[in-house]
Amino acid sequence: MLKINDLKVCYGNYRILKGIDLEIRQGEVLSIVGESGTGKTTLALTLLGLCQGKVEGKVTLEDENILTLSEDEKRTLRWNKISIVFQDVARALNPLMTAGEQIMEPMLENKLYSLEKAKARVLTLLKEVGLSQGCADLYPHQLSGGEKQRVLIAMALANNPEVIILDEPTSALDAITRVEILKLLKKIAAGRTVIVVTHDLSVAAKLSQKMAVLYSGRIVELGETKKLLQNPKHPYTRGLLRSFPNMTTTKDLQGIPGRQENVLEGCTFHPRCTQKISRCEQEVPELEQQADRKIACHRGGIVTLLETRDLVKKYNRVKALDKVSIELVEGETLAVVGQSGSGKTTLAKCLMGLEDSESGEIFFNGSKLVNRKKEFYKQVQMIFQTPQECISHRLNVLDAVIEPLNIQGIGSREERKEMAKKALQEVQLAVDDSFLKRYAHYLSGGEIQRVAIARALVINPKLIIADEPTSALDASVQAKIIRLLLDIQEKRGLTMLFITHDIALARKISDRVAVMLSGRIVEEGPTCEVFSSPQHPYTRDLLRAAPELSSHYSQETKTLQYCQVLKLQERSGY
Amino acid sequence: MKKKALDYLLAFIIIISLNFLLPRLLPGDPLAAIYGEEALIAMTSELEAELIERFGLDKSLPEQFIIYLSSLLKADLGYSYYYETSVTKLILGALPWTLLLVGLGLVLSTLLGFILGLESGWNRGRWQDKGILTGLMLLNGFPDFFIGILLLLVFAVSLGIFPLSGALTPYTGLSGFALVRDILWHLSLPLAAVVLSEITASYLLTRTTVITILGEPFILTARAKGLKDTAIRYRHVGKNSLLPILTRTGIRVGRIFAGAIFIEIVFAYPGLGVLIFNSLMARDYPVLQGIFLLVAIGVLATNFIVDLLYKKIDPRVV
Ligand SMILES: Nc1ncnc2c1ncn2[C@@H]1O[C@H](COP(=O)(O)OP(=O)(O)OP(=O)(O)O)[C@@H](O)[C@H]1O
Ligand code: SF4
Ligand SMILES: [Mg+2]
Repeated sequence: MLKINDLKVCYGNYRILKGIDLEIRQGEVLSIVGESGTGKTTLALTLLGLCQGKVEGKVTLEDENILTLSEDEKRTLRWNKISIVFQDVARALNPLMTAGEQIMEPMLENKLYSLEKAKARVLTLLKEVGLSQGCADLYPHQLSGGEKQRVLIAMALANNPEVIILDEPTSALDAITRVEILKLLKKIAAGRTVIVVTHDLSVAAKLSQKMAVLYSGRIVELGETKKLLQNPKHPYTRGLLRSFPNMTTTKDLQGIPGRQENVLEGCTFHPRCTQKISRCEQEVPELEQQADRKIACHRGGIVTLLETRDLVKKYNRVKALDKVSIELVEGETLAVVGQSGSGKTTLAKCLMGLEDSESGEIFFNGSKLVNRKKEFYKQVQMIFQTPQECISHRLNVLDAVIEPLNIQGIGSREERKEMAKKALQEVQLAVDDSFLKRYAHYLSGGEIQRVAIARALVINPKLIIADEPTSALDASVQAKIIRLLLDIQEKRGLTMLFITHDIALARKISDRVAVMLSGRIVEEGPTCEVFSSPQHPYTRDLLRAAPELSSHYSQETKTLQYCQVLKLQERSGY
Repeated sequence: MKKKALDYLLAFIIIISLNFLLPRLLPGDPLAAIYGEEALIAMTSELEAELIERFGLDKSLPEQFIIYLSSLLKADLGYSYYYETSVTKLILGALPWTLLLVGLGLVLSTLLGFILGLESGWNRGRWQDKGILTGLMLLNGFPDFFIGILLLLVFAVSLGIFPLSGALTPYTGLSGFALVRDILWHLSLPLAAVVLSEITASYLLTRTTVITILGEPFILTARAKGLKDTAIRYRHVGKNSLLPILTRTGIRVGRIFAGAIFIEIVFAYPGLGVLIFNSLMARDYPVLQGIFLLVAIGVLATNFIVDLLYKKIDPRVV
């Protein structure tokens, strides 16, 4: 068992690790992930007693504190108990020594084997890592990147250590070699204690059972790899996941705002966090147990912004909403999909307080919504499906966009005008006087919809409830506006409830999706999961009907079985 | 390596051709260019005719080149009218002393510089490093001959431990071990002067190389493997640092030879340096030309040896 207690490292005045607590049980594979420069390699080197900075804290291996060992004791610890496969594969081998000599070196240094036996062991090790025996006599420049990596792995196994550290084990490799090396690593990891240090989430996913997310020298989230990747709870973990190109998630790539800074006070992530509160800048959050994982966040991880419980709404005797429960967390897009008449717009209207629900509760920012005040509308804005209805025809474009600012009393007159113009520009509209003075009912459908979007964005809300906001736009303008919304989401944590019947669009913009049918939510979950393995037959139909670009006939002849059943039922008056 | 050998052959041909062409292309009388005006003044007309005949100066250039080559093959570098003996003989008389001085100087200064550089770079920033660095930088401030003069004054003139000049004690008829001792005794001061003036270059190069190599990832690997300091220092750092030093050695031969000329003069050491000096004074062109040809070939040969050594150490070179 390897135990790390309150480990701190600084280079000069620059603190790299700011108090790491970790426990790695024997035979466990733990991954440490985080952006470049968060101190992953520093941590790895510290475990080997090779860190050049000032080190405080405790690292215990078999009841012995590594950090207080003498230089000689550290030397015997290295490679015999802990070995490492270094990040810089291309240069980690001595160019003037053969692979065999280098693998053999630590065995002979510790006089573990006679020369004969060591030579024999080199050949066994080479075989174990999938190299031919001939490789022993080759020099590093005669080996490919993948082969070098295998030699490094063989070398790490030489003295049969209990703990192996893998620092970015695949970052230098091409995709195919990467898969092979991962397979090899998985094999050698069995029965050993392994620490995988990487910024490649897919490596962590493949190799490790447990994952620690490191940010700016602190662990911010720690738990089972699978759970963390499926459902990240710390804003930083989610940011990492969103910026990592992979074949599993479908949403467009989004980064993390700002860049890593050396934060001295408060939560290390606060300059980049979209949900920070004043406390975040003053106090360091402790890493605390929260259900299935540990999180270091004053708000307990990503907060729930909006939640409904069993919302019911009837028009006459038709149930437009039938016990609808949804949850919308900060900085996330929830797509609500379903055919027309399934109750999507009703849901939006109930949330905005434009309709009253018969029963059920709505929570906003943790407290139950009873009546909505001005403050609520400052944070929550809606983009309507038919903007003509909500923009008074007596207003010109400029007045329409300024109106919310007037209501909320934000800025001076001049400032308001500037803000309005900026919002109009962002939605790709003109800002010349003739356009600003034009009355809403003279605008084309696409233009008025964009004015509506500008109107919603202008007061910089936290949550936008958007009802088919881009359905009247042509694809190229829609693409720009979607990009804009996602950018605002990335920068400020804009939360979106995005109602659409465009499945393909939902796939690109949402983190989670809720499928509505006849006022009920029949399926809900992470978009990638729902769309890759839909459970409800109606969801399957929706997916079949989604636009594709391939010309196979099979697409057109796909039958929408469930919808046909529904139609039959309707006709028979069910 | 084949290509390398070809390069050397080409360089060799160019050197020989230049040596042949340059005096003949100079404006004026080619004989004057080959022998120097002064030699000609003292020359009788029969001798002049004989020389023109001998070099084929009345023939076409290609024919002259063939004559030149064939005399080179016979190791005939011409005749010195100043010394009144053949140039080949003169050079052969001086060459061993220079080879001894320059060769040993090159090897010793490189070796010592390497050892000190390794020590210094390994201990970068600590007292060992600071001490060696300051000492050698100070030494580097003096001109080559000045070090020679200083050594001469202190150890030969004042203390009298070493001889003032020469390479041998004349007319003693020493042989065997006694002769070797006598030679070494005479060699000591000039050699020390050469080594002292050359050591800084190889030291500084080694030191920077060692510092760069210490930052290489494979050194971190070696450390992580739990190797002892000596193993890391010599097997990993040392061997890798040798490469740039070897490369530079080939380049340094020319420079060290030039430096040795002054030192030979200071110690009246009867090598090529003194010969060059005297020939320059007497405008004895054939001797000078012969020596330059030899030096050029010497530099070429050293580089060739360096290349061979490099290949032995660095597996990446094919
Ligand atoms: N010896 C050193 N002296 C001073 N600063 C250092 C030293 N080693 C690393 N650093 C700094 O410490 C920080 C963390 O470096 P580290 O190598 O641990 O990052 P990392 O998380 O492994 O990044 P990557 O993913 O790029 O490998 C960096 O800002 C780096 O510049
Ligand atoms: S909410 Fe506060 S504590 Fe939590 S991650 Fe954001 S800044 Fe850090
Ligand atoms: Mg690293």
